[in-house]
Amino acid sequence: MIVLLAVIIGLSTIIVFPSFSEAEFELKTFVTHSGKVIRTTGEVIDPLYTVSTVEFDPMEYLREFNYGKVSKLEDGTTVREYTIIAEDDKIMEVSPGVFYNVWTYNGTVPGPTIRATEGDLLKINFINNGSKEHTIHFHGIHPAEMDGVFEIVGPGGGKFIYEFEAGPVGVHPYHCHVMPLEEHIVHGLYGVFIVDPKEGREPADEMVMVLNGLDTDFDTENNFYAANTIPFYYQHHPIQINTNELIRVYVVNMVEFDPINNFHLHGNLYNYYPTGTDLVPSFYTDMITLSQTERGIMEFEYTYPGKYLFHAHKVEFSEKGWVGMFLVNDNAQSDKSGMEYGS
Amino acid sequence: MAVSDTSKLKVAASGLIPFAFVIVLMLYIFGPGGDMLDFGIALPEITIEQVDFIDSEIQATVRNTGPIPVQVVVADVNDRIQPAAVEPDGYLERYETTLVRIPFEWNEAEPYRIGITIDDGTRFEKEIESAAFALKFTPDLAIFFAIIGTYVGIIPVMIGLLWLPFIKKISKQKYHFFLALTAGLLLFLAIDSIEESIEVSNENLANSFNGALLVSTVVVLSFLALYYVGNKIVSKSDSLHFSKPVAIGLMISIGIGLHNFGEGLAIGAAVGIGSIAFSTFLIVGFALHNTTEGIAIAAPMSRGKLMIGKLAIMGVIAGSPAIFGAWIGGFAYSPFTSVIFLAIGAGAIFQVILVLLKWIQKENDGNLSNLPVVSGFAIGMLVMYFTSILV
Repeated sequence: MIVLLAVIIGLSTIIVFPSFSEAEFELKTFVTHSGKVIRTTGEVIDPLYTVSTVEFDPMEYLREFNYGKVSKLEDGTTVREYTIIAEDDKIMEVSPGVFYNVWTYNGTVPGPTIRATEGDLLKINFINNGSKEHTIHFHGIHPAEMDGVFEIVGPGGGKFIYEFEAGPVGVHPYHCHVMPLEEHIVHGLYGVFIVDPKEGREPADEMVMVLNGLDTDFDTENNFYAANTIPFYYQHHPIQINTNELIRVYVVNMVEFDPINNFHLHGNLYNYYPTGTDLVPSFYTDMITLSQTERGIMEFEYTYPGKYLFHAHKVEFSEKGWVGMFLVNDNAQSDKSGMEYGS
Repeated sequence: MAVSDTSKLKVAASGLIPFAFVIVLMLYIFGPGGDMLDFGIALPEITIEQVDFIDSEIQATVRNTGPIPVQVVVADVNDRIQPAAVEPDGYLERYETTLVRIPFEWNEAEPYRIGITIDDGTRFEKEIESAAFALKFTPDLAIFFAIIGTYVGIIPVMIGLLWLPFIKKISKQKYHFFLALTAGLLLFLAIDSIEESIEVSNENLANSFNGALLVSTVVVLSFLALYYVGNKIVSKSDSLHFSKPVAIGLMISIGIGLHNFGEGLAIGAAVGIGSIAFSTFLIVGFALHNTTEGIAIAAPMSRGKLMIGKLAIMGVIAGSPAIFGAWIGGFAYSPFTSVIFLAIGAGAIFQVILVLLKWIQKENDGNLSNLPVVSGFAIGMLVMYFTSILV
């Protein structure tokens, strides 16, 4: 009798409180954008990615440059060969819990950063493994038939080799140029193409930032904005840099729908080289405005260590994800302390 | 005996066999391996049914009103993403609800758009015209609502009842005019209730509730229920020591009471969402409007003995629901219950109109198309229309 009663009570407890075992009563906390700490018995929804769950790692993309497979011609010209594969069936978790069909070059949005020196001969083996027609259209100087507009590459393994001389010096976008163009771009078929001057640039901590947006509900308005695809990523995972070290950011605006984007840096100003084509900076500012595919190179150094935001000063964009942070470590101090330790 | 047993069995069987086939069909379509209908893309949908503004926080009640389960993943205020909490959790089965708590320093009387994004990236939005603190129950506020309810419901109806001695003294023709006027007034109220309930449902309920059909169904059910009960009351009025006029008067008061409950909800909700100025206007409008409801009760009652006690009770039956409505509308507003109550009120009124028309017809020897009746009906509608402009 008592056993029966115990079983009944046990069962009904399980039925009434099915989530007893799931640590339901553990309070979770989160921090609001204004710094308040909030407690909840439920789930926290905050676009806060952890490194382990992110499918595309913006930190890795930031400083990754693809120089291609290098060989030399008889006349000494450097040949760089790249392979880029387009796909359009990938579903990616673009923000925690938000799943979006991305169209990719080599599996990521943005595609790989292609880097070469002015005058190099580039061979880009393009394979279209998607279900739609795609191409690669490079901004820059090249023959008409290498423009990736009329040379449509068919789906299911279509191939094309883009061959041209790298130039001019600067930072350029590349993207698919199949109609409807807007659709092919906003789904993610774009990347950055850097052409270095022959004499090279001053050594620096270099990084690439593609300013982009995601229209996840297809209403021709962006639901999320970001530097390098994942909203709020660099805010929650600051980019570590050092004081008194030259930082060079290749920034390319790929936002569609909204006519302009901009880039504001906190606690500092930068030398700005529009399109990177000139080796003399045009502006010394903390704010640039970028229209579609407008791009340039920013160079700056931090004197003081600490946390500095960078974000769109079109605040709507920053409040939808286009916001990040530099964590400036004290270079001199660490050097000094290292020396003291050693000596 | 045996014969009738088997025949009963046959009847039962013939009634059940089609059901059995329906079950087999369902199993075939939805059962394991039944992927026959697995084509097309089911679009998820959520509805933000309610938004409450509390201290430094906005709370949205979200219901999954689509055909497939969804996950609530992002919350925003005015299209700007905010960290938030979902209680108990963000995973919603069909028709399941959850509470999204968005910490936000909102400003009173400003409009806000609350957005919720689900796992496939679709964003849903609800616009709030003017933010105001969600009303908390306090005795003061309860008394305030009771006073408003009295002003809107009981007092105007009582004033309307004061026309009774006048109606009592007039000729049969003029009396029919007033009865028809009552029917006109009521018809207007019924249409008004239906309009209001469809409006509430369109604004707040998901399409999957089939707002207009929900309202029609409830109206008809309420009509049928009261029609049945009403006939019982009238037919038993003698044994219940009611005269027929009293029975009709009682039914009219009940119908009007249900309607005034809906009006109370509207006023309570208007105060609740912070449109105080709007609700002052509502109160004045409803008060004038509801004076005419007193006439509706007075007209049939004028043919019996003058029974002040009974009249007063009817006035209370018709008027006091406004108080309860205001309480519920202010403290525990839910669009779904509003829709239901407004529709019940409309059904009740249709039933009363039918009873009134039957009565006029009977007194008029089967005639409904004479001048006093037609003009009374028309003037009833017009009076209501013009007083409704005040609301």
